[in-house]
Amino acid sequence: MDALVAESLTKVYLGRGRRRTLALDGVDLRIGKGKLFAFLGRNGAGKTTFIKIAATLLAPTSGRVSLFGEDVLAHAPRLREQIAVVPQEGRPFFHLTPREHVYEYLRVRGAGAESAHARTEEVIAAMGLEPYAGIQAQALSGGLQQRTLVAMILATEAPFLFLDEPTLGMDPFARRQVWKVIRQATRKGSTVLLTTHYLDEAEHLSEELAVIEAGRIRYRGTASDLKSSLAREVRLEFGPGFTAEELTPFGRVYVEGDRTVLLTRRSAVRELTELALERGSEVALGPVTLEEAFLELVGRPIEEEA
Amino acid sequence: MTRGSQAYSALRICWFNGLIPLWRSPLLVAAVFLTPFSFLFFLFVIEGPTNPGLLPFGITGGILFSTLFAGNGMLNDCAYLRLERQLQTIFVASPVRPFSYLLGMALSELAFAAPAIGLFILILALVHPFGLGTLLVLLGVIGLTWLMATTLGFLISTFFRQLREIWPIGTLIFSTLAILPPIFYPASVIPARWQWAAFLVPSTYASQLARVALGLSFGSPLTPPLLNAPWFYVLGLVGSTALFAGLASALSRWREP
Ligand SMILES: Nc1ncnc2c1ncn2[C@@H]1O[C@H](COP(=O)(O)OP(=O)(O)O)[C@@H](O)[C@H]1O
Ligand SMILES: [Mg+2]
Repeated sequence: MDALVAESLTKVYLGRGRRRTLALDGVDLRIGKGKLFAFLGRNGAGKTTFIKIAATLLAPTSGRVSLFGEDVLAHAPRLREQIAVVPQEGRPFFHLTPREHVYEYLRVRGAGAESAHARTEEVIAAMGLEPYAGIQAQALSGGLQQRTLVAMILATEAPFLFLDEPTLGMDPFARRQVWKVIRQATRKGSTVLLTTHYLDEAEHLSEELAVIEAGRIRYRGTASDLKSSLAREVRLEFGPGFTAEELTPFGRVYVEGDRTVLLTRRSAVRELTELALERGSEVALGPVTLEEAFLELVGRPIEEEA
Repeated sequence: MTRGSQAYSALRICWFNGLIPLWRSPLLVAAVFLTPFSFLFFLFVIEGPTNPGLLPFGITGGILFSTLFAGNGMLNDCAYLRLERQLQTIFVASPVRPFSYLLGMALSELAFAAPAIGLFILILALVHPFGLGTLLVLLGVIGLTWLMATTLGFLISTFFRQLREIWPIGTLIFSTLAILPPIFYPASVIPARWQWAAFLVPSTYASQLARVALGLSFGSPLTPPLLNAPWFYVLGLVGSTALFAGLASALSRWREP
């Protein structure tokens, strides 16, 4: 059974002065129960809008979303018992410690004192928050504040977890720790939908991903399939001796320092490597990275704002 | 979650959003005291020597001012949690019902205001002794005024997308409720043909009801005579509280449009 089904989901924001922004443009998506699914897209692609609609926070303009077979508009009160959300750019309560955040949120959601207590200690430890568990959030760094929020949401073990840029502002070590706890949540049966614009996060963490751009889903599948499904599926890296201009006819070219990178078809490899040997220039052959696959698919790098 | 656990959630929110912060930054209380005490001070300095009978009016005004400004706190805190911290989100997407969240936030504001309200009641009891029955009516008036002000604050907070726009609006609305009408001064000092106008502001009913209960009177009766009827005050206070609470639960933008 699918945990989430979105059908022709469209959202138009009406801004100041009747300015209309098409944030989602007919999105169809299914996410299987117990899956760890990532939305990958540039800033402004529509990721947060999708999460807000699916998590009963925002009304769609048209189309529908259901969770566990129930429409999010019609059955919001019942569905809200089964979800938890890490909001994008959320900030914790000023005066509460990480331990209090986790514990109090569990109690507010209806957990008993004993189980909330046990669960709190478990999550605090798993998230590496022990050294900071007793410090008021106002005194914690941005990364630790974010970890506190993620801890309190993951602690709920809600059947559907929405995590909007959960590792924003964290150092690489902390991010890996968070990934571990997210994986644990799916092993215990939760379905997770997270958004990210960290490519390594989408690649290493998720089982499946969707690339979203300008409110449309451009790709849906695994990261490795994405890399191999592209027309230009190999990456050639040339040393000095080649110019971007002469390589352009073979595919997508970009320059990285003194190296020129070409994403091209398998069929062009022989010709180009021979040419490099003739010129006495270095050439390295490899698979495209997810970053390059994204660039190939969307036409722009993921860091660029929409 | 059951109704009982919804009520428990509200208390829990009051605990971690009101009482814990209060305990950890007691300065928050001082902020609530400052304005009503300054009003009282000026009243005392200017009017005290000539009209000592006005002092209980001013103290009762301090009680209601502190209660009404819980609404301004509600407006600012709800908007802050929603817009700057994205924290309303974690309650919306949870088993907590809107009403429990609203109640929990409103109780937090009451916790901030309670020390000031308590102190004003104490001073009032010293200056103008009253019995248990009166105290109960007074607490009832405070309770309804708190509910009216906080539901109004929440209602307004939901219509903003920017925190910066809220500050002047909140000050405007709650000053209109707490300073302009006869909260610190007797209604009878308003020119007779304008006295009805004071009753366009809901807080006037609360203030008049408290004064009737305390047996405070000053100057000649209000005109028209209806404006002196206790049942009219009760009706006005209960009616406006019900109106704001109803509007807050019906119109509040729990799900963004
Ligand atoms: N409340 C809003 N009002 C108007 N436009 C909005 C609002 N929220 C988001 N948008 C616009 O909708 C588009 C998608 O935004 P969003 O879903 O936040 O993207 P992402 O999360 O992928 O960065 C962007 O163009 C953004 O500017
Ligand atoms: Mg976003």
